[in-house]
Formats: sequence, C-alpha cells, structure tokens
Amino acid sequence: MRALRAWLLRLGASLSGRARRSDVADELNSHLAFHIEDNIRAGMSPAEARRVALLKLGGFSQTAEAIREQRALPFFDTLRQDLVYAVRVLRRNRAFTTTAVVTFALGVGANSAIFSIVNAILLRPLPLAEPSQLVMIFATEARRSLQFDGVSYPAFIDWQEQNRSFESMAAFANRDLPLGTSDEVVVARGKVVSANLFDVVGVQPAIGRAFREWRPQSADVVILSDGFWKRHFAGSPSAIGQTVRIDERPHTIVGVMPPRFTLDGDSEEFFQPLGLDTNRNRGFLRTVGRLRPGVTLEQARDDMSAITRRLERLYPDSHAGVGANLVPMADAVARRVRMGLLTIMSVVGVVLLIACANVASLLLARGATRQQELALRAALGAGRLRLVRQLLTESAVIAAAGGALGLLVAHWTASALAAAVADQFRVPGIQSVRTDGMVLLFTIGVSVAAGLGFGVAPAFACLSKDPNDRLREASRSATARRAPRARRGLVIAETALALALLVGGGTLIKTFLKLRSTPPGFNSASLIKADLSLPLPSFWQLDTRVGFYQAALQRVRSLPGVRAAAFVSILPLNNRNNTESFHIVGKADPSPTRGFNAVFNMASAGYFRMMGIPIRAGREVEERDAAGAPDVAVINEAAARAFWPGESPLGRQIVLPINDEASQILTVVGVVGDVRLASLGILPRPEIVVSPMQSRLRGSSTTIVAQTEGDPKALAAPLRAAVHSANPLVPISLIATVDDVVSNSIVEPRLYATLLGAFALLALVLACVGLYGLIAYSVSQRRHEFGVRVALGAAQSTIVRLVVGEGLHLAAAGVGIGLVVAAAATRLLVGLVVGVEPQDPVTFAAVTFVLVAATLLATYIPARRAARVDPIAALRDE
Amino acid sequence: MADKADVWQGTLALMVLKTLETLGPLHGYGIARRIEQTSAHHLSLNYGTLYPALLKLEQEGYVTSEWGVSDNNRKAKFYRLTRAGRKQLEKEAREWERTTAILARFLTPGEEAP
Repeated sequence: MRALRAWLLRLGASLSGRARRSDVADELNSHLAFHIEDNIRAGMSPAEARRVALLKLGGFSQTAEAIREQRALPFFDTLRQDLVYAVRVLRRNRAFTTTAVVTFALGVGANSAIFSIVNAILLRPLPLAEPSQLVMIFATEARRSLQFDGVSYPAFIDWQEQNRSFESMAAFANRDLPLGTSDEVVVARGKVVSANLFDVVGVQPAIGRAFREWRPQSADVVILSDGFWKRHFAGSPSAIGQTVRIDERPHTIVGVMPPRFTLDGDSEEFFQPLGLDTNRNRGFLRTVGRLRPGVTLEQARDDMSAITRRLERLYPDSHAGVGANLVPMADAVARRVRMGLLTIMSVVGVVLLIACANVASLLLARGATRQQELALRAALGAGRLRLVRQLLTESAVIAAAGGALGLLVAHWTASALAAAVADQFRVPGIQSVRTDGMVLLFTIGVSVAAGLGFGVAPAFACLSKDPNDRLREASRSATARRAPRARRGLVIAETALALALLVGGGTLIKTFLKLRSTPPGFNSASLIKADLSLPLPSFWQLDTRVGFYQAALQRVRSLPGVRAAAFVSILPLNNRNNTESFHIVGKADPSPTRGFNAVFNMASAGYFRMMGIPIRAGREVEERDAAGAPDVAVINEAAARAFWPGESPLGRQIVLPINDEASQILTVVGVVGDVRLASLGILPRPEIVVSPMQSRLRGSSTTIVAQTEGDPKALAAPLRAAVHSANPLVPISLIATVDDVVSNSIVEPRLYATLLGAFALLALVLACVGLYGLIAYSVSQRRHEFGVRVALGAAQSTIVRLVVGEGLHLAAAGVGIGLVVAAAATRLLVGLVVGVEPQDPVTFAAVTFVLVAATLLATYIPARRAARVDPIAALRDE
Repeated sequence: MADKADVWQGTLALMVLKTLETLGPLHGYGIARRIEQTSAHHLSLNYGTLYPALLKLEQEGYVTSEWGVSDNNRKAKFYRLTRAGRKQLEKEAREWERTTAILARFLTPGEEAP
C-alpha cells in the first residue's frame, strides 16, 4: 500500500513535470553550509572544508540527480519529455501528421465500427441465465441436406426423456397469429413454448407466473411481452387475469415477461403453451437444452446421435436419415449473420493492414529525411535505444490520435449502420449496438498493436546505420537514390491487398447486379399486395373461406383504379420453400415411404395473367374452377419437366393427402412459366398451384394482390378498407407494392456488396495514397538526376515515362500477388450470398483495370512534377 | 581501527526513523552526523545517499518535511516522524531483532557443529 502510494506520488511528479522544479538545490546547499561550518570549526581552511564536505556528499550534481530520480519515475520522466518533443515535431510537419493520423483513423474507425456490431450480436451474452450452457438442437436430414430442421412433438419428447446430457430440454415454435385486445386486432409475432421453457432459459415472467404443465382440458392462457403489455394495458398489473383474443379465442393473461426479453431475437409479443401433437411427420419445433455441468458439447452430440439412431430404427417411416445438430444457442440465433459479420470483420482488418502499411511507409520516408537530425542526436550521445524510444513515442502519438479519431468515426457510423440493417437482420443485440467498454478496449488494443506494427520497423530502420555514415550521407542530399526496399515492399503488399479486396467487392457487386437483372418470371409493376391472416377457427369450413375470398375480391376489384385482383398463398420471392408430398395417378412413388415432392401454392382465377406469368400449355385457374366443379391444378414448367418428362401433363391426375384419412384428386389443366418463388438467387422448383376456391389444405396466411392503373402505393389505404369491409376480423399484417417485395428480396446481397465495395474502395484510396507518397518521395530524391537528364536533352515525356514506369512496376508486382490471393479469397464468399461466382474472369479483369488506372493517376502527378524540374535550379542545389 | 562498514541497503531507513524518534525533528545533516556518532564512527555514511532515502520515506508517508530555522540560525529542511513512521519503526525494529537473534544462534558454536 505504502509502496503504491510512493509510486503514485512519483508518477504524478513525472507527468506534471514537478520533478524539475524542486528545492533539491536549496536543501543540499543548506547541508553543505552545516558541514563546512563544522569542518572550519574543526580547523580546516575554508577551501579544504568545502572540498571535504563535497567529497563526503558524493558530489553535488550527482546527489541532486539521485534525489530527482527518487522524486519522479525516470521512465515516465523520459516519456513526458519524448511526448512533448513528439507533439512538437508532429505539429511542425502538418501534412505528414494529418495524412498519417487520418489514414490510421479510417483503418481503426472501420474496425471499431464493425466490431461494435460484432460485439453486440456475437460477443455480448444473450439475456438468458448462463447462456453458455444453452444449446439448440436441430433436426438434420441428409437427403434434403437440411441442417437446421424442426423436430416433431413426439420426437422432442423422446429426446427429452432419453438424453443424459441435458439438465432440461424445452421446445418452441414461431406462431404469428391475430392478437385482439379490446381496441384492435393485429397480427402479432408469438411463440408456442413447452411449459418448462422459462425454467430452461432461466428467465421468469416479471409479473404473474409461468405456464403449468399442459393438459388437454387446460384453459387457454397467454404470457405477454413487456412491450405489448405497456402498449395495450398501460403497464398495469391488473392486466393479469384479463383476456386477449388469439385467433379469436379468449386467452387469460397469466404473466408478463421482463423488458427486452427475447428468446432468439424475434421480438415476440406473446407466448402460448405448447399443446400435444402426435404427428411424427410434423417437424415444427425448435429445441433448446441446458447442458448438465461438466458435460461437453461433444459428449452431448454423441448422446443425441445415439438417440436419433435408435429412433431411426424404431420409426423408419418418419425418422429415416434424421439426425441431430447441436449448436450453442448464441451461435444458433446469430447463425444467419455470423458469416457475413466475420467476413466484413476480416475485410476491415485488411483495410487496417493497408492503413498501417501506409503509415509505416510514411514514417520510413520521414525517417530518411530526418537522418541528419538523428545522426546529430546520436553524435551528441543519445543511445540507439533512446532514439528508437523517441521515434516509437512519435508513432504512439500518431496511433493515439488516429485511434481516438477512429473511435469517433466508429461511434457515429456503427449505430447508423446497425439501424439501417436492423429490420433485415432479426438477431438479438442489433438494437443495442453502442460504443461500450468492450469497443473502447478493442480500439485501444488495435491502436496499440497497429501502432507498434507500423512504428517498430521504421524506428529501427532509421537507425540501422552508423551515425558517421548517416551524417555524411545526409549532407549529400542529391545522391540519386530510389526508395528503400522496405517501402517498395510495403507498397506492393498494399496494392496486392487492395486488389484482393476490390476483387471481393467486385464479385459481390456483380452478383448483386446479376440478381437484380434476373428475370423473376413475372411483372412486378403496378401491383400491390396485402398479407392477410385468416383466423382459422371461423374459417375452418371451405365455404366460409370461399365466401370471404369472393367478397374481398369483389370489393377490391370495384375500387377505382384497380384493374384486377386475385388471391395467392405464396407470392414470389418470399423466402419460403416448403414442399408437400403427393402421388401421381398411374405412376409409382419414387420411394416406398415418400411420394413426389413439390411446392403447393394456391392462386385464384386470373392470377397468372395479372402477374404477367406466361401460360405455356392449357389454361390457368379460372372462375369456373369453383367449389363443386372438378378440382384442377396448374403446374409450372419445372414440375412438368420433373414429373412428366417428354409427355404432356395436361389431363393427368395427382393425389394430394390432406390428412391421415382424406386426400384430394386434382387434374392438371395447364402449365405456366417458372417464377423465382423463394428468392432471385434460387432456381425455380416444381410447383403445383390449386384454386383456393377448391383447396382443402387449410392455411391461415394468404395474400391478396391487386393490379392498379396508377401508382400502386396510392391504393394501400383503400385496399385495407376494402378487405376490412369484407370481414373486419381478418387482420392485415403487411401492405406493400410488389416492386418493393422484389427490391427487399435482394437487400442482403446489396448490403454485403455495398459494404465490401465501400471498404474495397477505401483500400484502393489508401493504397493509392501510399503509392503516391512513395513516388513523390522517390522523385524528390532523384531531383538532381532528373536535372542532369533534362540538361542533357531528355524530353519531358521521357521523364514522365521513367517515373510512371517505376510506379507501374510496383503496381504490377502488387497485382500479380493480389490476383493469386483474390483467387483463393473469393471462394469464401460463396457461402455468404446466393449466386456468387468465384474467380469470375470479367471481375478480375475489370478490377485490375481499375487498379492500374488508379495507379497511373497516383504516379502521374509526381511524374509531372519530375518532368518540370528546372535543371539549373536542381544542379545549383548541389 | 578496522575497516568502516558500509551502510546496508534497507538499514539506513531504520536508522533514520530511529534517529528522528530519539531526537525529534531534525535536518538531513543532523541525521547524518547522529548516525555516524551513534555507530561510534564505525559506519561510513555517504551523505549523498541519505537524501534519496529521506525522500522515499516521505513518499511512503513515514516522515514529513518542512523548511525551518536551525539553532545557529541557518535555513534547513526539517524532517519529522509521522504516526505511520512510528509504527513502521516498531515493526522494523522487531523484525531486525528477530533476524539478528536467529543469526546469532547460527553463528554461536553449537553441539552438533563438527
């Protein structure tokens, strides 16, 4: 404690410079006076008395120095001197300092900004109890290459009962349902959860209680989110015991979750208890388990795969090829953005490398011009390490200033960036991106590491030579010297890295452009859609559904400005890819346990004509395909090719199982063009379209699409009103133009293309600054040589060619290395965005062209300056 | 006279504290002389080493210093023992006694000694 106090006092004295101003001399003089007096009294002459006293003291200035060292900390004392000196030197070289600091700030800022997002999403623990023990268990199906499939209720119970690795295991599923309070009905994002879920994740309702074990006679209960409770019940505790209507059935509110609780980032508004479901084929549940203490993920994997193998043997029909995939919960909920974030993080890491190379190169150049100063200081007795320390302090000042500026840049950009993508990436944490302690720590760490990285080598390089040589050399300023090898190497490396990033950015931009120009197979102009959610209890019967469809269509079609309208259950580009199994009359099933697979869609009369989807054979769904008429189906070309290759599908019949007992026989009446149903990047799959007026498949979500004469946006409000007037109980979840649907479907590729493109551009600019600096330096060093050449008759163009040639030489080396790196690196982008073509020669060529053009520009400016050298002036400088 | 012993590292602080306890507030020169006198001139004290030691004691809070005037009317910096310094003196003196006792037992010829 005492030692610390003394150390702090000394540190304070060092930093404030107090050590210099002290009463040391007074005290020593007083001491000498006493001693001399005593000595004289003992009979010495005054001179002798003084000599003895000084001798006994051990020298005046030596003692004073020893006291000063004890007073302060010599290390920090020197540091303070170095800092003061560094700041003075850096302020004298404004251009150098600004370039170095801004370059470094851009590199650090990009890293800190992306890190604050990574920190919020990937690093910050989930708001659950001991989240590191939570593991999500997905079903896998090798045949359909599914890694994150759901599990059926009976299989979940088997997992829960048979495993030995988990303390407890819970299941949940998404359920977006119409949620009605006294004032309105909205489609709310909800989840059904097993009764033990809140125990497993270790978060209990803030008020009220959790669910009890579900029984068939259990009353309908619901737990609300804090947000919904505050919005609709004004945060009143009396909400407990009141009812809300979910899918029209009254549910008693038993609890309210704490603020900001979310299971997997979905911002759920309500939770319902999970009921019993005996169907082993309905894999709709996601599973989360809490590992027993001491059980590793590996052991749990072995345990689960033993269970799934047993289930495969017991239930070959439903469990053949089904395994389990165990993923730590934190990784599972961020899985969609994890790879993208890590990719961008490595990209900004490369940008920082380039920035550091730039600063290092600048320092090297400056070191060269400071040879004389350094040589002089060395000659006056400064040790080598002392000089290195001084130079490193200067780098540290640059790093600190750049880091601080970078943190500001990150602080401004990160939250804006996060807000821009929050809607696309529904992951926990994206709302809470901020500059917290972790980000600060990261920025400091990166700045220190990078500061050392760009500072150490130049500092030693500046001092590698004998001071005598340096003094001599520095005075011979006009010696023709090219930039040192180290700087040339740095510039080549920068160019290579920038090229690799440009290729990456170019590849993603090209992928995005290709996606954007992919014909979706339909015409999205002048269309507006409204997503509806039919409350199934009242729409259980086909005739109720048909009644609503017809009423709604009639009202929407009679709106002024509406040309046509139709219902469809899966609008193109909606990211869904669910297939159903069916049989074909007269054809054997492909396997004994499963039928054929296709996407089943419903579309009412006139849908294909309105969407501009071509009819290839037969006809589309028409008004005459009403309830009671023969059940019809329209298939797409992919289905025709897959199921009836080389024959006409028209008039063929398929059997669609509705449930365990009933099935429906449909006759194929037409073939329509393929559309990109799931996303622009995914090729059309076989699709079978039935009429909603005939379909006995009950789906609650459907979409009404209207074609308008003018701007479709203007129809939003009338469309909502028309649907409401047809049935006020049907909630509308989303109204949007189909053009927006198309552009939203490529938001993610666009985001990655924009980010990577922007960072690649930053890298290019930085690399060009580096190259420019090198060539400008080289030109200044060779001024004398150019003077001589001009004097001997060299044309200006010769000089320009000479200098540009030097730059191109470096760029060519960088391009060569960069192309090899890029060829390997672009492969990593394949998993990031659908449709990436790695090693695309067009991209490589275009990017190389851009880089070489930028290089030419960066070298041309100093080359022009070189060519304008006045030979007389250049030679007179000698 | 035998060679004068150099002051051991660490013992100087103890001597300073003891001197201040015995004589009360005193300036550096006075402390130095007193240490030499007490040791009956067996110790050779380089006066220059005393001042960093005093400063260290001050930084540790065991002594405080103040400019004042000496008996013969000369300006000098006087050092005074603090309460913490008094405690530290007791502690160090105890430790020192223990150490010397142990060493003494080692150095006295014992029965087992060959």
